[in-house]
This record gives sequence, C-alpha cells and structure tokens, in this order.
Amino acid sequence: MDTWVIAMMLGASVFLGAIALFAFLWAIKSGQFDDEEKFLNAAKYDGEDELNDAIKQEQKKEVLKKRYKPE
Amino acid sequence: MSNKVACSHCHLEFDSSIMIKDESNYFCCSGCQGVFHLLCDEGLDSFYKKSNNVVLSPISKTFEDSSNFDTPSFYEKFVETNSDGFSKVSLIIEGIHCSACVWLNEKALHKMDGVIEADINFTNNKATIVWSDDVVKLSKIINMIRSIGYNAFAYDSLAQETHANKERKSYYLKMAVAIFASMNIMWIAVAQYAGYFSGITQDVKTVLNIAEGILATPVLFYSGLVFFRGAYYALKTKIVNMDLLVATGAALTYFYSIYITLMQSGEAYFDSVSMIITFVLIGKFLEVLSKKNAADTLDMITKNIPSEVKIVKDGNIATCKLNDVRQGDIVVVSSGEKVLLDGEIVKGSGSFDEANLTGESEPIYKNVGMSVISGTTSIDADIHFIATKDFKHSTLSNIVTLLESAINKKPKIQQMANKLSEYFSSIILFLSIFTFALWWFQTNSFDISFMIAVSVIIIACPCALALATPVATLVGLSLGASRGILFKEAAGLETMAKVDTLILDKTGTITIGKPEVIKEHIYDEFDKKLLYSLLKLSNHPVAKGVSKYLEKENENIVAEILDEFTQISAQGIKAKVREINLLGGNIKLLNENSIETTFLSENTIFYFAIDNKLAAIYELTDKIKDGVSELVEDMKKMSIDVVMLTGDNSRMANKVASSVGIKDFIYEQTPQSKADYITHLHEKNKIVVMVGDGINDILALARSDIGIVMGSGSDIAVKVGDVVLLDDSMKSLKDAFKISRTTFGLIKQNLVISIVYNAITIPLAMAGYIIPLIAAISMSLSSLLVVGNSMRIRNKWNKD
Repeated sequence: MDTWVIAMMLGASVFLGAIALFAFLWAIKSGQFDDEEKFLNAAKYDGEDELNDAIKQEQKKEVLKKRYKPE
Repeated sequence: MSNKVACSHCHLEFDSSIMIKDESNYFCCSGCQGVFHLLCDEGLDSFYKKSNNVVLSPISKTFEDSSNFDTPSFYEKFVETNSDGFSKVSLIIEGIHCSACVWLNEKALHKMDGVIEADINFTNNKATIVWSDDVVKLSKIINMIRSIGYNAFAYDSLAQETHANKERKSYYLKMAVAIFASMNIMWIAVAQYAGYFSGITQDVKTVLNIAEGILATPVLFYSGLVFFRGAYYALKTKIVNMDLLVATGAALTYFYSIYITLMQSGEAYFDSVSMIITFVLIGKFLEVLSKKNAADTLDMITKNIPSEVKIVKDGNIATCKLNDVRQGDIVVVSSGEKVLLDGEIVKGSGSFDEANLTGESEPIYKNVGMSVISGTTSIDADIHFIATKDFKHSTLSNIVTLLESAINKKPKIQQMANKLSEYFSSIILFLSIFTFALWWFQTNSFDISFMIAVSVIIIACPCALALATPVATLVGLSLGASRGILFKEAAGLETMAKVDTLILDKTGTITIGKPEVIKEHIYDEFDKKLLYSLLKLSNHPVAKGVSKYLEKENENIVAEILDEFTQISAQGIKAKVREINLLGGNIKLLNENSIETTFLSENTIFYFAIDNKLAAIYELTDKIKDGVSELVEDMKKMSIDVVMLTGDNSRMANKVASSVGIKDFIYEQTPQSKADYITHLHEKNKIVVMVGDGINDILALARSDIGIVMGSGSDIAVKVGDVVLLDDSMKSLKDAFKISRTTFGLIKQNLVISIVYNAITIPLAMAGYIIPLIAAISMSLSSLLVVGNSMRIRNKWNKD
C-alpha cells in the first residue's frame, strides 16, 4: 500500500472522529445532558405545540431586543 | 355507603357532600377551584389531559409576600443581567411531580408579556427564567407561578454546589478529549507495534507518528493543562508533587517523540504521552466526582427560619422583621408556630415541642414566667412572650455559628497521601536525572541516555498510585450506595475504617422517636370511631400514636366531626358529639374529672373515658429499633466502644441503655455538651463516629470524625452528616463499618502493589533493560491490576 493512501485514510477517519468529538463537546457545554428526564423522554416535550411556542418566544425576544437598541 | 367523588383539579377523592359543586365539576377547596378556572381561561386546560389524572396536592394559600422578590438586595444577590441586557434568575419550583407540571409552568410563563425564556429542569426542579425587567417585575412572575398552584423560591447559583458542578463539567470535557485521542492513538499504535516486530518502512512509520502526534497534542496541551498548572503552583511553594512528575514525564516524552519524528529514525512514544495523561486524569476525575458538596448549611437553616415575627406594638399586633426585634419586645406565637427568639412568657400557656433541641420526646408544658427557647415549636400554646435576647444572641443563632466553626475541624487523611506523593515524585525525578547523567557519562550518546531517562520517568508513572485510592473508594462508595448507605465523601470511607468509638443518640436513633401503643385495655365496649375522631383533632405525639394504632386495627376508620372540642394543656382533649362526652388524656385529666383508676405502669399511659366512665387505657412506649442489641454486640467484637448520649432524663436513659446492652451512657445532654464530649474524646486520641438524627445532634455530628445520620432525620442533620443511612436501620450501620474496613484494606493492598511494581521496574529501567515501549505497556498493566484488585471489594466485604 502506498504511503499516501495510509496518510489519507488516517486523515479522513481522524477528521470524522473529530467532528463527532466536537459535537459531543458542544452538547456537554450547552447543557444537553443536564436534564435527564427531558433528554431521555424528549418525545414528551417536543410536540408541534412546543415548537410553535419556541418560535413565538424567539419572536418576543427579537421585539424586546429592538426596544433596547434605541437606548 | 359513601359517595366519593374526585376533585376536578387535584383528583383527590372525598365524600360528595363536602365538595364544592360548580356546574359539572367538583372541587375540594376554593384553591383548586381558582386554579381550574384560571387554567381554563388561559387556554391551558389540556394540562388535565397531559397529567392523566395524577393526584396533585391541593393549593395552600400561606405564602410570604412576593414583593420581597423586587427589593434591590434580592436582585443583587440572585438576579444577573445577561449579554442582551435581559434579567436572568434561577428558581426552584416546588410542587412539580410530573412532566405535565413542567409543561404547565413553562407554558404559563411563556404566555406572560416580557418573559423571554422559561426553562425548567425536571430532574432538579430548577427553573431558569430570562425576562425583560422593564416589561414585567419578578414578583409578578412569582405570583403567576403561585396562582397555578406551585411555589418558587430563589436559588443562589453562587452556592458551592454549582461551583462543584462547573468543575466536574470541565473535567468531563477534558476527559472526553483525552479518551478520544487515546483510543485513536491506540489503534494507530497497533500498526506501529506490529511494524516494530515484523518490519515497517520509515515512510509509513513517519506517517503514523505524525498522526499520533496530531492526536497527542490536544491531550497534552488541553487536558494536560491541569497538571502543568498544578506543577507550577506546587513549584512556587517549593513542593514537588505528582503533577510535576506527570507534567515533566509527559512533556519530555512528547518533545522527544517530535524530535524522533522529524529525525525520521527511532521510535516515537506519543501513545505513552496520551495514556499517562488519560489515566491520571481519570484518577483525578474520580476524586472530583466524589467530592462532598460543602454543606451550605447556613442557607439551609435560614431557609427554615421565617423572616418575620408578630410583635405587640401600641396595643396592636404588627409584623416585624426578625432581625429588627429588640430585647424587651413582646412577641406573639400561635399554636403550631416556631419560637424564634429566647424569651419569657408573659401571657398564655401551653405545650412546646423541644425535641429539636433536647431530644425530649414528651412535650413540655409552660406557663407565665417560664422561659421559651428559640428553635422550639409551640404545639398548642397561644402565648405572648417578652424577648430576653434579640435574634443574633438567641440559642438558634448560636447553634448556627457554632456549627460553622465545627464544620471546618475535620482531620484529613489527604495530607498523608500528599506527603507520600511528594516524596515519591522527588525521588523519581532525582533518579531519572541521575540515570541520564550516568548513561551519558558511560556512553556519551545523548539519544540513548535520554531514552533511558525517559523510560525511568514513564515506568515510574504514578498512574497506579493515582488510581489506587480513587478506584477503590469509588467501588466502596457505590457498594455502600446500593445498600442504602450514602458516603458523601471518599475520605469518609478511610476515616470510618479507623474508628474506635461509636456514639449513639437515643431518640430517633436507638428508638424510633414516635410513641407506639404496646398494650390496649378495654373496660367497656365502645365505638372506636369516637376515640379516633377525638384523637385526630390533636397533634400531640401520644394522640398520634394511639390513632395510628386504631388505623392499623381498622384501615377504613373515618373521623367524625365533633362538637365542642377543647384542648386542655398538659392534660388532654375533651369533646362532645351527639350528647356524648368524650375525654382523652393523662392521669391529671382523669383527676380533674373525678374519674378513678388504679392502673399503674412504667410506660406512658393514655386514658379514654366516655360520659365520665373509663372506657379504655392504652400503654405507649417509644420502641427501640430492631437490631440495636446485635449492633452493640458486633461493635464489641470489632473492639469499638459504644456510648449513648441523650438529652432525656436519667430514668428513660437507663431503661433504654440497659435494654440494648450499652454500659456507658450520659443523660440530660445539651447540643453543646454533646459536642464537648466529643472534643474530650479527641483529646484522648480517639477516632469518633456519631450517629444522630435531629437538630440537637448537628453540633456533635459536625465535631465528630464521621457523622452518621438517619435518612429520616431533620434536613439539617442530613446535610451535615458525612454518611446517611437511607433505611434508618442498624444493620446498615454495621454494613457501613464492614464496607469501610474492607475498602481501606484494599486501598492499602493497591498501594503496596504499585510500590512493589515500581520497586521492581525502576531499577530495571535504570539499568537500561526497558525501552519506553515496554515501559508504556507495563504502566498500563499496573493501572489495570490496581483497578481489578479494587473490584474484589464487592466479593470480599461480606465474607469476614
């Protein structure tokens, strides 16, 4: 096997692994695993209703942010 | 035939005749009715479908004023401003028992104007709320939570617990990176080892080395930063510790390997670098995991103390902040309330529950002129008393201060371990420098001497040493936890193994703490329901004991509503129903009502009379827990002295002590004198474990080397204790001793293994027989050996 083939294989697999690692690190940092119940039983908390709710809250946030900006 | 119907809100079932009827719904109280209508109006009634008829708790309306939440001091302490300029607070929501409750609270909060985020963590009931302070005030948010039937109180996110969590998280991240890199390096290393024995071209070797190098870099510089920092600070204070050893070993190996890779000849050892760091980091992580949450006891106690009291001002009753009450003010305490200041009664009389402070299981009757102590509770007394001390100088406040100082006085076995690693590290560093110098002098080759010196450091890797204690203690801890014994701190296991004196509290520890009926004498047949109805109206421990007995006899017994109910202090209770007179109480009550009896007993007696004729007599006693005598026997076999301390009188103390076989006991102890006794034992160089459960024990618990608390004990005792026995049983106490002794024995074994291993391999490495490759492998093997040995605790502890 040519050396460059080995180098490429190593590079590709480490790169893919690194993506998974970064995703895992991001999840820990942003607290995805903090609430056991919500994490394991996410189906209970992620209905259409809740998604609509989340969007409304985002819109609220934008409106209020704009109110602060003029200051 | 009862017609039971469920409340449309909380789903508790009651007789339909007492429910409030509202169109097609029934409610048990106006609180439930209010919440139901609120939810329907706000469109949140799908809550009932989600909650699936789970039983809730009915609404109680006694909340403190919510304007407390808007004060600047509150904001300063609990509210932070985030980067967008919005306010953020952490609250604990009380009353959540299912995901529907979480949904309801989040939905209700989202509906409020100005609330941007409301995230409730189901696992710990902590709510993080982000809102715009211009649009809505925090008190309104709190009111909303209360109006739907829950309560919220502030959570100080600067508390020790959150800090420990942050530390744990950062270690977790470092470990994740280190383990990821190590695992990948391991499979790359397989190729290298295979190549070492069967032949490999330099090109391929270089590619592999580069790949390993790239992986090892974050391990050394991100995960390994902990060690560099630790080594730096240790050097600043002129101490050599394990961090320095690990840091030097790893750094040297890393740079040596880079040199090798660039030179394209020889072996690179990136795998050793990452494995050293990973293993020792795991050891550190395990230690951080089992760190005790330094009890924020002050917060705990102050949460239990209401912030306001009622005082008499200009002839009227007014509320006053606790800290503003001055000596000489007249304080009003009603039945069921806690007494918060030391004082002397000027009006009224009644019984007080002083079990918290003295452990006395019988209520104490107090009259005008007698003193009341802060921290006790009024059972049935409505009194006015003049404050003889302000809150700062009252007993409760003093206990808190004494507690704070006691908590910091624990002996540390850690210090010995630190000393050991200090000597170990300095010796190893010295040996490796010596080896380097020796070989260089002998062979004049930098490469060889450096390689051998590096082998010495790698093989002396303190992995085994670093893992010896944490793994064994963790296995011991989890073993204990699975049997309902919670050790809060790893060091607790080690200390417990060395204990030679056991101190037992009486009430709640040796005895169950609740008087129970042991004998019933019936003189005249009567309807037990009458007695039950009478008893249900009193909170007295004796009344509770008898009513429990009746409930055991007849599960379906129901209390009737009685007319003309009166409590007679220090005597008993009197009531009338359907023209029948009922009397229940002690001998004084009988004498007052001219009822004669010749019954004698050394137990507590409860008399019940109908229409002035004696109908029944109940004998009660505070039962001794199962297994206490066996425990005392076992302690003697383990050569541990047993002493009983109690606040009760000598008669009670003697009775209990002799029935379980305890020869040494001291009675009429105050919380302070219990703690002083422990200091006295410390002066005799005894290692003391104290078992207790009430507020009257916390000083002693904090002062002792190990404080064991019954799981059912007061919240504060549980916080202060080092070990919590979840099932309150004496057998768990014995198991705790066994587990800790076995664990400690195995820790010693582990340490011996790692020292012997080092003693054999270091000379071999110095003599040049071990290349870094073998060093790395054997180092991992030693770690595995130590871990495997620790697992033996599970089988070994119950065998002796």
